Amino acid sequence: MAYSQCFSVSLSHTNTHTHTYALSLSLSLSLSLSLSLPSLSVSLFLLSLSLSSFSLSLPSLSLFLLSLSLSLSLSLSLSLSLSLSLSLSLSVSVSLSFPPSLSTFQTEHKMSIEECCRKFNTDIVQGLTNAKAAEFLIRDGPNCLTPPPTTPEWIKFCRQLFGGFSILLWTGAILCFLAYAIQAATEDEPAGDNLYLGIVLSVVVVVTGCFSYFQEAKSSKIMESFKNMVPQQALVIREGEKMTINAEEVVAGDLVEVKGGDRIPADLRVVSAHGCKVDNSSLTGESEPQSRSPDCTHDNPLETRNVAFFSTNCVEGTARGIVVCTGDRTVMGRIATLTSGLESGKTPIAKEIEHFIHLITGVAVFLGITFFILAVCLGYTWLEAVIFLIGIIVANVPEGLLATVTVCLTLTAKRMAKKNCLVKNLEAVETLGSTSTICSDKTGTLTQNRMTVAHMWFDNQIHEADTTEDQSGASFDKTSASWAALARVAALCNRAVFKAGQDQLPILKRDTAGDASESALLKCIELSCGSVKQIREKNKKVAEIPFNSTNKYQLSVHETEDPNDNRYLLVMKGAPERILDRCTTIIIQGKEQPMDEEMKESFQNAYMELGGLGERVLGFCHLLMPEDQYPKGFAFDCDDVNFTTESLCFVGLMSMIDPPRAAVPDAVGKCRSAGIKVIMVTGDHPITAKAIAKGVGIISEGNETVEDIASRLNIPVSQVNPRDAKACVIHGTDLKELSQDQMDDILRNHTEIVFARTSPQQKLIIVEGCQRLGAIVAVTGDGVNDSPALKKADIGVAMGISGSDVSKQAADMILLDDNFASIVTGVEEGRLIFDNLKKSIAYTLTSNIPEITPFLLFIIVNIPLPLGTITILCIDLGTDMVPAISLAYEAAESDIMKRQPRNPTRDKLVNERLISIAYGQIGMIQALGGFFSYFVILAENGFLPSILVGIRLNWDDRACNDLEDSYGQQWTYEQRKIVEFTCHTAFFVSIVVVQWADVIVCKTRRNSVFQQGMKHTNILYILLTYLPCCVFINLCPPPPLSRPSWWFCAVPYSVLIFVYDEIRKLLIRRNPGGWVERETYY
Amino acid sequence: MAKDAEKSTWKDFIWNSRTREFCGRTGSSWGLILLFYLVFYIFLAGMFCLTMYVMLQTLDDYKPTWQDRLGTPGMMIRPRGKAMEISYNTTNTETWDMYIKTLDNFLSPYNNSLQAEKNEECTPDQYFVQADSGDVKNNPKRSCQFNRTFLEKCSGLDDHTYGYQAGKPCIIIKLNRVIGMLPGKDGQAPFVTCGAKKEDSDKIGEVEYYPENGTFNLMYYPYYGKKAQVNYSQPLVAIKFLNITLNEDINIECRIISNNIPPGSVRDKFAGKVSFKLRINTKG
Repeated sequence: MAYSQCFSVSLSHTNTHTHTYALSLSLSLSLSLSLSLPSLSVSLFLLSLSLSSFSLSLPSLSLFLLSLSLSLSLSLSLSLSLSLSLSLSLSVSVSLSFPPSLSTFQTEHKMSIEECCRKFNTDIVQGLTNAKAAEFLIRDGPNCLTPPPTTPEWIKFCRQLFGGFSILLWTGAILCFLAYAIQAATEDEPAGDNLYLGIVLSVVVVVTGCFSYFQEAKSSKIMESFKNMVPQQALVIREGEKMTINAEEVVAGDLVEVKGGDRIPADLRVVSAHGCKVDNSSLTGESEPQSRSPDCTHDNPLETRNVAFFSTNCVEGTARGIVVCTGDRTVMGRIATLTSGLESGKTPIAKEIEHFIHLITGVAVFLGITFFILAVCLGYTWLEAVIFLIGIIVANVPEGLLATVTVCLTLTAKRMAKKNCLVKNLEAVETLGSTSTICSDKTGTLTQNRMTVAHMWFDNQIHEADTTEDQSGASFDKTSASWAALARVAALCNRAVFKAGQDQLPILKRDTAGDASESALLKCIELSCGSVKQIREKNKKVAEIPFNSTNKYQLSVHETEDPNDNRYLLVMKGAPERILDRCTTIIIQGKEQPMDEEMKESFQNAYMELGGLGERVLGFCHLLMPEDQYPKGFAFDCDDVNFTTESLCFVGLMSMIDPPRAAVPDAVGKCRSAGIKVIMVTGDHPITAKAIAKGVGIISEGNETVEDIASRLNIPVSQVNPRDAKACVIHGTDLKELSQDQMDDILRNHTEIVFARTSPQQKLIIVEGCQRLGAIVAVTGDGVNDSPALKKADIGVAMGISGSDVSKQAADMILLDDNFASIVTGVEEGRLIFDNLKKSIAYTLTSNIPEITPFLLFIIVNIPLPLGTITILCIDLGTDMVPAISLAYEAAESDIMKRQPRNPTRDKLVNERLISIAYGQIGMIQALGGFFSYFVILAENGFLPSILVGIRLNWDDRACNDLEDSYGQQWTYEQRKIVEFTCHTAFFVSIVVVQWADVIVCKTRRNSVFQQGMKHTNILYILLTYLPCCVFINLCPPPPLSRPSWWFCAVPYSVLIFVYDEIRKLLIRRNPGGWVERETYY
Repeated sequence: MAKDAEKSTWKDFIWNSRTREFCGRTGSSWGLILLFYLVFYIFLAGMFCLTMYVMLQTLDDYKPTWQDRLGTPGMMIRPRGKAMEISYNTTNTETWDMYIKTLDNFLSPYNNSLQAEKNEECTPDQYFVQADSGDVKNNPKRSCQFNRTFLEKCSGLDDHTYGYQAGKPCIIIKLNRVIGMLPGKDGQAPFVTCGAKKEDSDKIGEVEYYPENGTFNLMYYPYYGKKAQVNYSQPLVAIKFLNITLNEDINIECRIISNNIPPGSVRDKFAGKVSFKLRINTKG
């Protein structure tokens, strides 16, 4: 019944799909409409305020407005990354509406394991054959959810063509065509100006539309590649071999193994489980992990314990199961297909962008209409006034800026991807740049995650193993019987296996399935004693308790090698102190001896010595179980332990080192100079943690912990003033007892902190503590349990190699090589792009002043128009674009990693200093440069500046054909218009010339350009701007600048901009914190 | 509650009494930044003035640097009318009174007495060249007399209405002043010829030119600019329509005929020619 309901829902849904789409469209339309109204009124209010109270000197209110809108535009591409997390969020919302009554659809959980196997033609040990699997794969298709229908490309293209500012420009174009049509109808010889302008505007809209479209396509392609780069893997057993395959290739009937941290690759009927718990929260909303076992406990497949669901997560333990359903046929798939058609609402960021566009549009329209009315009042025809209106709009809207920001962020994301930092959303690029604290894992991030057995302790002696990669180091005595016992325990009590198909590779280079230390042991034993596989085959495993964080040991029970010996061999490894506690005897030279105090002390010394080297020490023990108590066939129950785990025989210690990565000490040093606090959070022993911390420089040389001071001065720890110690190592158990204030105190007063023996939950506490102190925290994590911390952190960093899928999902960024140094690269890139965006924006905004002032003066003091509309378009979209983007390639000023992190509440992208510089200073110089060439051309043609003021009425009067110039000559209308167009051209060329200087000064904010150096690319880009300039001059109706000197009128102003800014930067460098820096350093 | 907080932050932004900040700045901070901008803009103004000064220094006082836009001098008529359209009613004095006033004003500097006082009689039919000898300027330049009486019936001396009342209006045509222009070579003076546009050609009737043949005498050229040749009297040609068709729009085009003036661009309707519309109404 319920099923049919679902079915009908899905059916009707597919039918109404087009309708829902249309609905959502109209919805978004009404949304934008409702948004536009308040935004307009707000902008008008702000504008009138800023105009009335500040005039030209410092319009900080409108600056605030601008900075607001710009910071919003930063998050442009965020919406793109959404699709990654879409499926998860969707399922959560839907699980509420669907009662768990999908009972008709699955019956496998009620079948026995054998029935199940029969149904899927599979084998409980060997798994499917490869041929069968391939056959099933063809039959069922890949194991993935059908992606929701994507928007057709042409709709995306149209959105670019008619969205945002484009509507404004289209309106302008249509007005132009209308004006031309009216002219053509009423006049004998209509002037082509309006037609040209209309065509140019349309071309501009289409070209910018195409640009944004391709940019978006490019970004989504990058996001797509992110998805492909982190494919989900599944460990399946086929033909008896374990192999890791792409989760998409899993087919029904596959035997799948999952362990803590994995995502369940398909719907599984569990056949065996060891302490397996799954997190079904994404499906059922229950946050508590639930244990899984092979037994059917409930009729409802959603309730029973023996089914694990696709895309939920295994939190801990291990399980093995038969795949029952794949892809869209899974429970999750059904829900997802039902819901994927539902359009998700606009993201807050998308709304913000819309708001930003409305704001800018509102301001432009408001100014345009004001000028329109002014122009009409001043006696212009409506036609001319409309063209001025278009001009004002065009001059006010920085058409190229949005595209520039996107391009800059995309460039950085690409550059970071090349350096092994995958950024899931572009906004994270910037967040990373302002990071002030990094909480880093030790294992794998700071170290190589390549555990190697370094030392062993048996026969009351420390033996050194060969840790070199080429096995050239010294070897140890392998003849001792104790070593044989130790090797056997290490080989058997070990879940790691070599992955199939790499027999040719040297042992150390082979990939293994299993955790790092087990792999280290596996490799060590394989190296010294030969095939571990054979040892394991000879000693068949009967029972096993995998490692978990509560027991801190792992044990397994095996049959012995000797077929006549019916005793079982219990082998155990784990934390040495725990192992020792369980032992009553110790093996020395192959002989069992009682464990006495002397031995214990000797053990302690060895343990401390190895631990002091920063090595992970594991204790090993074994027990040949007495046959009378545990006869052959004894049923060992691992969940409810029914056998002894005490009175064992201690065999020895093996210690492993995970050497620091080569690049890490440098990276930590960089972080320190960049004002970023590096906190190590590890589950390891404090001594290990401290040793590695010292090795990589997290605890720098010469800095001591309280304990160090105490032992140096030989006084009790309590007498040491904690303020004397800059470094500290905090144990997880201590952390538990700390109050919030004490925690804050530690975080505030110690610069070098190591948290050892911490649980993932405590990681969250640490992150919260740092954030309480106002830090921007980056957290690395790889486990499922790290995901709360990753989510809580300002920027979560997941590990690409060792990280679980869940952690990758929760993270904002993924380190492909798991290397801490990559984070530092990311920080550097983040800071760089923030700086470069500032430069880009400063550059782009500057030319607004020389674009608007001609109109202002034209209307206020009645001079001939110095700059036309098409010319403004040419600047905004032609000559300004490429240099603005070229600034994104700008290399870091040398101090980028030597300054303190950005304070996100104070240091904004666009601040009043940037506007002050761009509009108030450089822009003004540029405007003067433009006006100078304007005056030069008029004066050299006979119109001296003195007669220009107020000349406009006669100048623009078609009937006045004997206008007298300063020399007494008389001009016809056409003659002086040609001069005016020459002026437009000259003004345009002047802006280009002064913008050359601007792009050079914008290259740096503090350094001299001479320190920064001129990169060839930059010069090339500057010269590239010359091309459209020349094309414009030679193709457009106004005559070219016939006098060479007219091309260079603005050069003195270019020089002035350069000199002025160099002096300003010199003053900033000379007087750090001085007035110049406070007022002009943006 | 939240609104109150927002309000107070706005208020705080405008005037923060605690830190004595107005719009986020203290008094001295405002003072410094305003002083900076004052000094900066004064400096910029100075810089601008300097470059302008340098530029103006490169200019010649007597002749503009470039004259290539004035290759073909423009032509203009007086009275100009409204958008080159002269229409009036002979019976209604008010409709043509303004034309009379315009012409009176325009011609007053050409009064014989004034001309005799300021200008001298020159040799006709040849250029009145007053060359500078090297760097020594031959200034001020003298100008030739163009007496109002040259315009005869259109001088307004005998007929104070310039023929407007009689429906035989005078239009005065002038050639735009261009410094150094020599409008005719080989001693041939340029002259004005007027005609109606195609469909109106039979309506224009007889046209009389003053001075004779509608010539601009060569002695008025070259022009040396208003600074060197303060009293220059621009030569005029008056045309009088003797029996123009009344009560109809007539499009008239006058052009300069010269062997030394290049034809103007097609776009420019006033280079070397002038078009205007004439309509004389007689009915009440």
